Amino acid sequence: MLDNDRPQPEFVDPKIDKHTVIALGNDHIVTAIKMAISDHLKDEGYRVIDEGTHDNTRTHYPMYGKRVAEDVADGRADLGIVLCGTGIGISTAADKNEGIRAAMVGDATQAEYARRELNANVIGFGGIVLGRDFIFDIVDSFLNARYAPTDDNRKLITKIDGIAKPNPDQKDNVHFFDEENKKWAEGVYHD
Amino acid sequence: MKVVIGSDQAGFDLKEKVKQYLKDHNYEVLDVTTKAAADFVESSLLVTREVLDNGIKKAIMFDEYGVGSAMASNKVKGMVTANVNEERTAHMTAMHNGAKAIALGSGIVGEKLAYSIVQHYLDTDYAGGRHQIRLNMLEEMI
Repeated sequence: MLDNDRPQPEFVDPKIDKHTVIALGNDHIVTAIKMAISDHLKDEGYRVIDEGTHDNTRTHYPMYGKRVAEDVADGRADLGIVLCGTGIGISTAADKNEGIRAAMVGDATQAEYARRELNANVIGFGGIVLGRDFIFDIVDSFLNARYAPTDDNRKLITKIDGIAKPNPDQKDNVHFFDEENKKWAEGVYHD
Repeated sequence: MKVVIGSDQAGFDLKEKVKQYLKDHNYEVLDVTTKAAADFVESSLLVTREVLDNGIKKAIMFDEYGVGSAMASNKVKGMVTANVNEERTAHMTAMHNGAKAIALGSGIVGEKLAYSIVQHYLDTDYAGGRHQIRLNMLEEMI
């Protein structure tokens, strides 16, 4: 994949530009609230890369969790925000990537903690379970918090980072989920 | 039904209360941390190993915020842990994600809410069907 084939950060008014890029990812259940978050971030001066999904057509959250995670891991984005109905599926998908510490949160207290203590670089929450203004609070708490290194939390972070074995076949492989998507198209998965 | 539980020091008291609740409601409880683990990485990985090695369907991890146990255990291939603060997510993640564990933050969730979250999680079965493609995708990831 060519670099310029990737979604690019969207325009931010230079007067408020924070020069901080946030990658956004979501499934088809929460596209509307994702757009509200995108507008909110731009109003605050963040640059946004919207990795989709971009409409309401049924799709699969791991694809978007992976894209956001890779934006962050590869340095195209500073931080990631992911949401699905509950946030569980997409935050779990984002966490299963090299260089990522994804925090699933249900409130602003957990969001602030995740950044301050665990230096989380992706945050996830439920776009259906939670309401718009509370979601903005969660997002702002995460973005405004700063990692405060201590001996204890450095040790925890090192341990977390050492759990997963890197998978070179997964990282930045846009065809990683092709087999499942092919089976989906063939109607293998149905209720 | 067998439920695996485990906690670090911060989650220990809530773990003990939920353990009693589970016993009172006739669940078979396997506590992998009768003594608190050194930290939430240790406790969540102990629970994860039990779940994945022995095909356990339901487990509960405890620490102060819930965030760390989920973050650490989801780094294990095949594990799906849901950090949960309320009943709706507990129900939906059991149904749609087949969550193999939930994480509860002792500093976040009170005793009565914890019981209710646990009950909603345990009362809900995984739905399968269209949701299975997403779980297969997660299974392929690290």
